[in-house]
Amino acid sequence: MTGEEGRVELRLTVDGAERTASIDPRSLLLDALRDELGAIAPKAGCRTGDCGACTVRVDGAIAKSCLRLAVADDGCEVRTTASMAVGGELTPLQQAFWDTNAFQCGFCLSGMLFAAEDLLERTPSPSETEVREAISGNLCRCTGYDAIVAAVLSCAAPPVRSSRGA
Amino acid sequence: MIPARFRHVAPADLGGCVAALAEGGRVLAGGTWVLPEMSRGESAPAQLVDLRRAGLAELTATADGLQMGAMCTYADLLGSGPVAEHAPLLRTMAGGITGGWALRNQATVGGAAMAARPQSDVPAALVACAAVARVAGPRGARDIPAAELFAGAMRPSLAPDEVLAGFRVPSAAGAGSGYVKLKRGGSSWPIATAAAVVRLDAVGLCTEATLVLGGVAAVPVRIDVSALLGRVVVDDDVRAVTAAVADALPEPWGDVLAPASYRAAVAAPVARRALSAAVADAEEERA
Ligand SMILES: Cc1cc2nc3c(=O)[nH]c(=O)nc-3n(C[C@H](O)[C@H](O)[C@H](O)COP(=O)(O)OP(=O)(O)OC[C@H]3O[C@@H](n4cnc5c(N)ncnc54)[C@H](O)[C@@H]3O)c2cc1C
Repeated sequence: MTGEEGRVELRLTVDGAERTASIDPRSLLLDALRDELGAIAPKAGCRTGDCGACTVRVDGAIAKSCLRLAVADDGCEVRTTASMAVGGELTPLQQAFWDTNAFQCGFCLSGMLFAAEDLLERTPSPSETEVREAISGNLCRCTGYDAIVAAVLSCAAPPVRSSRGA
Repeated sequence: MIPARFRHVAPADLGGCVAALAEGGRVLAGGTWVLPEMSRGESAPAQLVDLRRAGLAELTATADGLQMGAMCTYADLLGSGPVAEHAPLLRTMAGGITGGWALRNQATVGGAAMAARPQSDVPAALVACAAVARVAGPRGARDIPAAELFAGAMRPSLAPDEVLAGFRVPSAAGAGSGYVKLKRGGSSWPIATAAAVVRLDAVGLCTEATLVLGGVAAVPVRIDVSALLGRVVVDDDVRAVTAAVADALPEPWGDVLAPASYRAAVAAPVARRALSAAVADAEEERA
């Protein structure tokens, strides 16, 4: 599969579409997505795994794409935040971020939205502590985090009451 | 983009990984440590031997504890019933790893052990659990107790052509555990950690006690707490066996996070808190 100048073919499903690209095998997943596949929702921030701006889902699991070798993910299914809104309709979580002013520059959104979505799937009615814990590992330099926490909490399902409850 | 060229191979089994590594290069596990190093140009191996397809992520209960593949992630530990039952210390440790779930989904226990960084949670926790590493290499397989797995800062005791396959962890079911770490802020690396395991018998006498410190020296430091054995452990006992832990440090570790003198100063209180927590947990287990 080695082609021109030692490039290799990478096959990925990106936001539902099967894509192939001829990439330099030294590319990180982040570089392949942004530079070769035009998927620019994940941002290049720290490149050390600290900031979370490059977060995507790989085969369903949230992951920091700067910590992954693209060729190692050959054949995987990648989702970026670009696929969250369907037909221009924001998800309730995205709408909550919008309504709460939970972002300004938007650089941290891939990390924050995926971390929050991942939390709400596992824990539909999280506490504030759980929200703060879940979005840790993602740096925001605009909001001071409180608005983000408020946005996520506003999406929490009402706590389930036991039918035998008081 | 990683500046230097390298070859990436992902063999389908452990034997294939060992054969590939015989040609040189570096193992790639979760990549959370090795890829940033390569991106920064601090490491330029000719080859990366990717363990991801080699089936080393099993995490199962055995007759006497756990079998934990080197490729188990922190998220795997947190989601595992057998870990909660047989190695609650590892669960607590994994729950305190920073970087968020995206990091926990990817970073492996084997990778953290083999990175062998002093300011890391995993090495001391493995020693406290009395984990035994299974290592494969061109000269065959061998077992290395976790206490002998760390030769120095950033230096595991494996040969460069050996691969860590996984760990056997004896069951700590029924024992109490305590894990305490001191760090500068929410997302920073540990400055000092202490991992403790305490087992009490039916009348409350201590039958087993382990205390291991991390972050305070180049490698994990086991503290002699045998004075607790056969006793009903009270606060003064815990205080007594942890008072002089700083003297047990061969050479306190110092780095950008904290100088050696600071680590020596905080070792005792961190040790005391972990041991107290383990005793309290063991009392609860007994009740
Ligand atoms: C944002 C962030 C936050 C973090 N927070 C913490 C924290 O709170 N506490 C903490 O202790 N650590 C923390 N870490 C470190 C993290 O635990 C390690 O980076 C990770 O566990 C290493 O595992 P990996 O699978 O990614 O290893 P890799 O990066 O793939 O490998 C690490 C090293 O081990 C070698 N290696 C890996 N597996 C094997 C094997 N099976 N056999 C032989 N050699 C092998 C590799 O060649 C390499 O030298 C953090 C890291 C990041 C990026």
